[in-house]
Amino acid sequence: MKKSIYTLTSLLSLSIAAAPSCCTPSAPSMQEKAPISTVDRTFAMIKPDAVKKGSSGAIIDLIEKNGFCIINMKKLTFSTKQAETFYAEHKERPFFAELVRFITSGPAIVLELEKENAITDWRTLIGSTDPAQANVGTIRKMFAESKSYNAVHGSDSPAAAKREIGFFF
Amino acid sequence: MERTFAMIKPDAVKKELTGKIIDMIENNGFNILRMQKLRMAKDQAEQFYGVHKDRPFFGELVEFITSGPVVVLALEKENAIKAWRDLMGATNPAEANEGTIRKLYAASIGENAVHGSDAPETAQEELKFFFYDL
Repeated sequence: MKKSIYTLTSLLSLSIAAAPSCCTPSAPSMQEKAPISTVDRTFAMIKPDAVKKGSSGAIIDLIEKNGFCIINMKKLTFSTKQAETFYAEHKERPFFAELVRFITSGPAIVLELEKENAITDWRTLIGSTDPAQANVGTIRKMFAESKSYNAVHGSDSPAAAKREIGFFF
Repeated sequence: MERTFAMIKPDAVKKELTGKIIDMIENNGFNILRMQKLRMAKDQAEQFYGVHKDRPFFGELVEFITSGPVVVLALEKENAIKAWRDLMGATNPAEANEGTIRKLYAASIGENAVHGSDAPETAQEELKFFFYDL
């Protein structure tokens, strides 16, 4: 009976009580990341197309509403070198140059998110890479205009999340 | 184009109003030059609010502002300082106009959701305090 009223949010608040670091980035003097057991972290980015359209606030609102803790957040503009390193795994692909040009075309917002199953849940919330195939209610359905200008990024695996979080934070 | 310093304070961040407040910032024509989420250390807070250090509420202010993460922003707009103060509304939410951030989201005079610079000199100081390259 009790279990049935356990929403993701209530589970999350339980984990907040246990681990006060959630939603509470460490003080500047203690930037060391606390070990995480059942709670995952992922790396997210609001890309230049969405930032340019003034959709940052609306997307951050969706992040908060869906139970993600924003551990870190920063607005910045990628240098070409930074973009090439960040997307290094795609460097042999035909779209690489365009990808780098797009991602450096204006400011982006980079975020470290925490939630149980953060990687999967964030990918569910952002929706399919191609906005035409994205489900209703997903960020890409609402804010992305094409496969390339698709508003947001999310890590695709724990290893990628670790690397991408470390890249910025 | 004028610049001002803005902060989303711990009470509003805790209540998960960051997105809503940033949405209002964007909808009101401010350009967000810089933005970062961080937690202020006690000495940082004491320095930031140095001008209030002899006031009776100083201890409480420092305690509040370090109680959780904040979001600091550098905003740009024509008459940004006044425009941001207008959008925030009166320091006391009970006196704030309809549609202002404090009317919508602030709980009290102390936990009033947002901060904004009050003059060009303080804007410059506060921007430099968090964004050394501005």
